[in-house]
Amino acid sequence: MTRPVLVVGGGPAGLSAAHALASLGQSVVLVEKENRLGGAPILSGYAKLVPSGQWAKDAIGSMVTRVETNKLIEIRKGTTVKTFDGKPGEFRATLANGTTVEAGSAILCTGFTHFDSVNKPEWGFGTFPDVVTTTQVEQMISSGKGVRCPSDSRKPERVAILLCVGSRDRQIGREWCSKICCTVSANLAMEIREELPGCHVYIYYMDIRTFGLYEGDYYWRSQEEFKVKYIKARIAEVTSNGEKLIVKGEDTLVKRPITIPFDMVVHAIGMDPNVDNMLISSVFDVKLQRHGHVERASTYSAMGGTSRAGVFVAGAAIGPETIDDSIAQGQAAALAALGAARSAVAAAAE
Amino acid sequence: MPIHEKHLIREENLLTHDKLVIEGVDVSGHWSTFIQTRVVSDYNEKMEDEIAALPGGEHINRCWQCGSCTNSCTVNAINPDFNPRYWIYLIRTGMESELLRDKDIIWQCVSCNKCTYACPRDVFPEGVMKATSHWLTLKGHTPKSPLQIFDEEFAGQVFAKGKIEESRLIRRFFARTGQPVVQDWLLSMVKRMIKYLPVKMLIGLGLQTLFHPRARGWARARAAINEYVHEKEAAHRKALGLPADAPEAPDAQQPQPHLDRKALIAALKN
Repeated sequence: MTRPVLVVGGGPAGLSAAHALASLGQSVVLVEKENRLGGAPILSGYAKLVPSGQWAKDAIGSMVTRVETNKLIEIRKGTTVKTFDGKPGEFRATLANGTTVEAGSAILCTGFTHFDSVNKPEWGFGTFPDVVTTTQVEQMISSGKGVRCPSDSRKPERVAILLCVGSRDRQIGREWCSKICCTVSANLAMEIREELPGCHVYIYYMDIRTFGLYEGDYYWRSQEEFKVKYIKARIAEVTSNGEKLIVKGEDTLVKRPITIPFDMVVHAIGMDPNVDNMLISSVFDVKLQRHGHVERASTYSAMGGTSRAGVFVAGAAIGPETIDDSIAQGQAAALAALGAARSAVAAAAE
Repeated sequence: MPIHEKHLIREENLLTHDKLVIEGVDVSGHWSTFIQTRVVSDYNEKMEDEIAALPGGEHINRCWQCGSCTNSCTVNAINPDFNPRYWIYLIRTGMESELLRDKDIIWQCVSCNKCTYACPRDVFPEGVMKATSHWLTLKGHTPKSPLQIFDEEFAGQVFAKGKIEESRLIRRFFARTGQPVVQDWLLSMVKRMIKYLPVKMLIGLGLQTLFHPRARGWARARAAINEYVHEKEAAHRKALGLPADAPEAPDAQQPQPHLDRKALIAALKN
């Protein structure tokens, strides 16, 4: 009989993979490090998702419920995989809580870690309370409290969103584009303008890379309908004059330096490889690529394959990824993992 | 001049003092020339909305700076400082002082509308140029441009009489812009008209000049038009935060920096 498929991580990719396997009649063991399923959208309290516009707690919440109520899926929360041995069809994993899992194959849906803005001290995060991250603004909106300056809870009248914080930056060893931040920022800018029509929102960019076909619905719409202003300038530093935050940079289209006062500065933080990726790499014996994400086998041979046979990967574990694409990759990896688990059993029976 | 070739030090930012001592240090003369900062220290966030409230400026926030307008511009071809793309950016970001540096050439748009057809975002840059020069005048940054004066005289006659009388239009326009009534080109045109126009037509023109006839039953139309124009003008002033009875801008008297006509005609032919 086919052993269960081990799914590691209960975010969008893991939830999607587990559901896809169960809907094909395959049993699944889902291991989640935290005490709650849902991954970053739930754990970090995202607001409305791109591109559906649905609240994260509803959209991802329904995926969680679908998995939690499925009898073919066994969920082990609050634990991690300690060892993982064997070969396709007969893997054996031991978990931190002392239990073991006999698995036919495994899918790593281990996600990412938000960039910690403290690593770019020149932009004031951690120094000035009104410098926040996109994740914090998501939380302000999803909590229903609205966008307010943390220092004194006032409504900001002018907000700057700085793109590429922790992305495309050799200085801090993060050369990759995090793919989602432009669209997320445009989305948040529209949310801010909707909640606070008197608040002007400026987005400071190097390039706009609203990945996919989100240019019309986010980049254009934010300008045409919401009058969000895009300024081509990479900010040099964020300081304060005691009353307001001062954003310094060069407006490259005008070729003039700018020092503009703001009430709030938002860092559009990027997606780092999961901080546990070194550990994950050694436990599962899979290679990491040069940026520290899980290395993917050629897409033309097996969707979601890794450097180890029988171990697959999906979602932001591979690199910065959107929620919709993570869900798609979860399903693709599920099919590959199912095939690996079953063909190994079939080969053994011959 | 394309933006990337713009010199970073501007003449108006150079300061030299014949005699100046700061904290006991003599900083007089050429050797102690100061350069004032180029730093933009704030945005005028009202500017975009104000210009968008004037006819023609409605779609300015659609612009994404591709530069098609400047590239296709007739006037830019002969005066590289005429840069609609750049001005639209300045208005959108609220860099007022930077825009005001070009206040005396913005009105020179010839409304050829090449930009209108080139613009991929339907910004209508030609309309934005009109709205911007209108804004500059209403705000008191520029006197009424010759273009605006001509429009006023033309429309004013139509509103008053229901028709225009060319010789009066030209005389009024010259008078208001401080130009002599007798000009070479006008003289030769009149001479040739006298020589070549049929006598009947000349008599007609002469009678019109003397009696200023008006369209029949024009009084009601005039009242309606005046009311509408008044309403619109009041709305524009309000959008710009100006008092309803703000004084009108003076007419441009000095001949403004004008275009090289031969070059303009050559550019239009291309």
